[in-house]
Amino acid sequence: MKEEKSSASGSALFGGIIFFAGFIAFLILGWVVFPDLLYSKKAQPINFSHVAHQDTSCEDCHVARDDGTYAGIPKIEKCKECHESQMGQQESERILVEEYIQKDREVPWLIYSWQPDNVYFSHAPHKAKGVECVRCHRDVSKEEKLPLFHENRLTGYSKSTMGMKECELCHAERGVSNDCVICHK
Amino acid sequence: MKLGRRALLQFAAGAVGGALLSPLPWKLADDAAIWSQNWSWRPSPARGHITKASSICTLCDGGCGIQGRLVDRKRLIGIEGNPANPVNMGGVCPLCAAGAQFVYAPYRITQPLKQTRKRGDVTGFQPVAWNDAIAELGARLARLRTDGKPQAAACITGQRRSSMGHLWRQFFTAYGSPNLYTMPSPGDSNKLAAALTTGKSAPFAFALERASYVLCFGAGMAEDSCAPSRMQAAFRHWRGAAAGKNPVKIVLVESRCSLSASKADQFLAVAPGGEAALAMAIANVMIKENLYDADFVGKNVFGFEDWTDAQGKTRQGFKNYALSAVNAPEEISKRVGLDASKIRDVAREFAKQKGAVAVWGEQSAGLAGNIYHDLVFLALNVLKGNPGADGLVALVPEVPLGALPQVNPDATAQQGLQKKISQPQPGKMPLPGNGLYVFLDAVASGASYPVDILMIHEANPAYSLPETKLFKDALAKTGMLVSFSSYMDETAQQADLILPNHMAFERFDDAIGIEGAPFAYYAVAAPVIEPQCNTKHTGEILLEVGKSVGGNVGAAMPWSSYQDYLKSRVKELAAAKKGALAEKPDVALWQLKPGQSPSGSLADDAALWKKLVGGACWYDAPADTLQDLTTPSGKLELAFQSLQSKGGAGMDDLAFLPHFAQIAPSGDPKQYPLLMVTYKSTSLSDGYLPTPPFMMKTVFDFVLKGTDLFVEVNPQDAAALGLGEGEQATLSTTQGDLPVRIRLYAGARPGVVYMTRGLGHKAYDQYIQDKGVNANQAIEVQMDPVTGLGTVWATRAQLRRA
Repeated sequence: MKEEKSSASGSALFGGIIFFAGFIAFLILGWVVFPDLLYSKKAQPINFSHVAHQDTSCEDCHVARDDGTYAGIPKIEKCKECHESQMGQQESERILVEEYIQKDREVPWLIYSWQPDNVYFSHAPHKAKGVECVRCHRDVSKEEKLPLFHENRLTGYSKSTMGMKECELCHAERGVSNDCVICHK
Repeated sequence: MKLGRRALLQFAAGAVGGALLSPLPWKLADDAAIWSQNWSWRPSPARGHITKASSICTLCDGGCGIQGRLVDRKRLIGIEGNPANPVNMGGVCPLCAAGAQFVYAPYRITQPLKQTRKRGDVTGFQPVAWNDAIAELGARLARLRTDGKPQAAACITGQRRSSMGHLWRQFFTAYGSPNLYTMPSPGDSNKLAAALTTGKSAPFAFALERASYVLCFGAGMAEDSCAPSRMQAAFRHWRGAAAGKNPVKIVLVESRCSLSASKADQFLAVAPGGEAALAMAIANVMIKENLYDADFVGKNVFGFEDWTDAQGKTRQGFKNYALSAVNAPEEISKRVGLDASKIRDVAREFAKQKGAVAVWGEQSAGLAGNIYHDLVFLALNVLKGNPGADGLVALVPEVPLGALPQVNPDATAQQGLQKKISQPQPGKMPLPGNGLYVFLDAVASGASYPVDILMIHEANPAYSLPETKLFKDALAKTGMLVSFSSYMDETAQQADLILPNHMAFERFDDAIGIEGAPFAYYAVAAPVIEPQCNTKHTGEILLEVGKSVGGNVGAAMPWSSYQDYLKSRVKELAAAKKGALAEKPDVALWQLKPGQSPSGSLADDAALWKKLVGGACWYDAPADTLQDLTTPSGKLELAFQSLQSKGGAGMDDLAFLPHFAQIAPSGDPKQYPLLMVTYKSTSLSDGYLPTPPFMMKTVFDFVLKGTDLFVEVNPQDAAALGLGEGEQATLSTTQGDLPVRIRLYAGARPGVVYMTRGLGHKAYDQYIQDKGVNANQAIEVQMDPVTGLGTVWATRAQLRRA
């Protein structure tokens, strides 16, 4: 009888270890391996140094239009205003001028902050309420090199696309409605 | 302690637990939802700057103000109503709401094409350079003039209320052909009815928003209006905020319980085609019980009492005819299937109600109405005094655009212009109107001279002209078919040469007046988007061809471009110094009464052009209908004296009066015991344009299921025929057989089969091609003996199990 008991507890312990192994393996898979697998790392077509542009203000390039909508990343026309001809010896400068400005092509920037189609977002009311850019976007004031773009293999959006939780949190803090229809028209 | 099945299950259980406590399943579920938004077939606008461009919709004649939504000013992603336009006040019809789909439709004709094989073989179309295509058309037209046969060139245009129609007229007059026709519309007979009663050739208009009681004879106000968004606005007015203050009663008279009937306060179901008979009975009661406006009639109307014609013969007037036994409610009751007491009730209610107006639009499959019936309905308004100073009924006012330059046709052109196919004939067709059916009939039967070139502009007669066989027969005897269509429609498929026009949102156009609207209206449709294909404005082609065909054609069209031509029209409008500009919401056009002309238009033509191109519209009050009447009596005529001088002198008394004059459809009633009546649906387009995919989604599955079209049949009829809900059947008319399925509908009148128009296309894309059958194939058109206009109210039919 004693031997049987000992055998049963050994078996239970072994079973527990196997269960725990599965548990830990998938915890690691879910928390460590999966996020790395889900996103591919892409470099921007050319580097852009925000530091090198500190002689201009943010609003010179990231403009709000007359109708209140936000222009986002500037078009090549804007770049052309200063970079009609090459302004330095960097490789990225050469590519910008030769491949894009001279050929009148838009730079296919990878956008870190695009939201999916089902999200309605307008910068205008946020700007009017004095929300700082860096509340939602990364601080680029000291950025010399654009970070890698972590593209979600399934959705195509950036890893740094702001999630709904962040929006809701900020709305709640400021006493703004979190009704579905505010963001999902 | 083996790693067996049990261990595997234990590991899996742990794995599930671990996974559930990690982001893996939750993130995947979330991302899968976003991934589904990226499917290529899911409509999703491109990212970019969204802007709006104001213009006017020219998809139909409604003249609605629109705003095109554009991404980066390049991609049109939607059409919305312009709230500042006083006609539609921000509303649009379903066709316009889905209109952006026409820009990118796979059936757009992307470049000029020439048929290299047998006519009708779509694989035979080969691209051809614009210069060569225009040169070919010009050379063929020039050769006809050289041969002394300019009348062998003909054109059918679908644009009735734009300067393009005037340009075609200018071209044909200078070129020397009388064979310019527009696609038929109810306005064709309406205009002739106005000419008989007022001496002016403009269709009647109704200040519906000012009415307190609308007695509607057959007009599908909600689904079959010439200006759908104006009607939406009228309904909004009747049923909206103003309803509490001024309740409006709508009484609809027709045979089928339609969408309009469901929106009416009272629905009077009458036998099909019986609307005018009922109107005569109402006139009988009003006159007999002295409920008409005797003062108005006495002062302003000729022919109410018996009259004497130019030959000194005493003829019966409208009063005595209306009072005759044939128009008594008891007699009419047998014909229309409505109790005589009910007829009297309606007549008394209509007569006593201040602000009551009668409107009409019989179930005419989009064709002209029976002119005598138009006149009967008008007579009810005359009895009410509606054409008086209050202007509840008026004539669609003219827009002061001035005349185009004087045309001086050369000898060849003058000779050609004399060779009309639809001439007035003594005793027969004394009042020829839009002679399209007379023309097609003559060409198809070989009774006319041969037609060498038939040009089709903004129209698809091979599909949308009732009794389509007639067009096909005429086409078989035509030398060359030239299509200007933007789309590969059924008519373009038959073309020998296609010179594709820009589509409606890519070109300059204009809207001159609105059918049925009692105010003057002018608006310019500016392009909201650049042309997306290698197309050319038909107006530009006409101007170019005009320079090469000889005679005085080039001199008659001195404009450098179509835009230049439109500017010349706006210049005339500015010079007229009349009317006002509507630029902001809340301009209530419906409040304008005759003579109350607003001010505020611009005398500077460049400034006016700029405003009009920016989406503003010009408007003015209607003229007083009773002023400057050009009838022989100088009054409103209910006995049409002018018919006498047009070959009608030998006609009997009735021919000069409004009366019920139903033209019997052909076919043996024993062989075809039913009547087939077609109807218009708000979900389907039945004209030049096909139904776009977004709109097709709104078609109920009891109208179209898969590729099967359902006809509406009264349950009693279906039981008698042994047909059940959804069963396959064959609908036979004098025009042929069509496969249909049965929908049992209590709102269908016994003895009548109802079929929707707008299905059964053989062209276009997967969303509309081969869906259902084309009702126009089954319709039999009757030629009106007075006007020569093609009319239809019903076609004899038989229904049997397939």
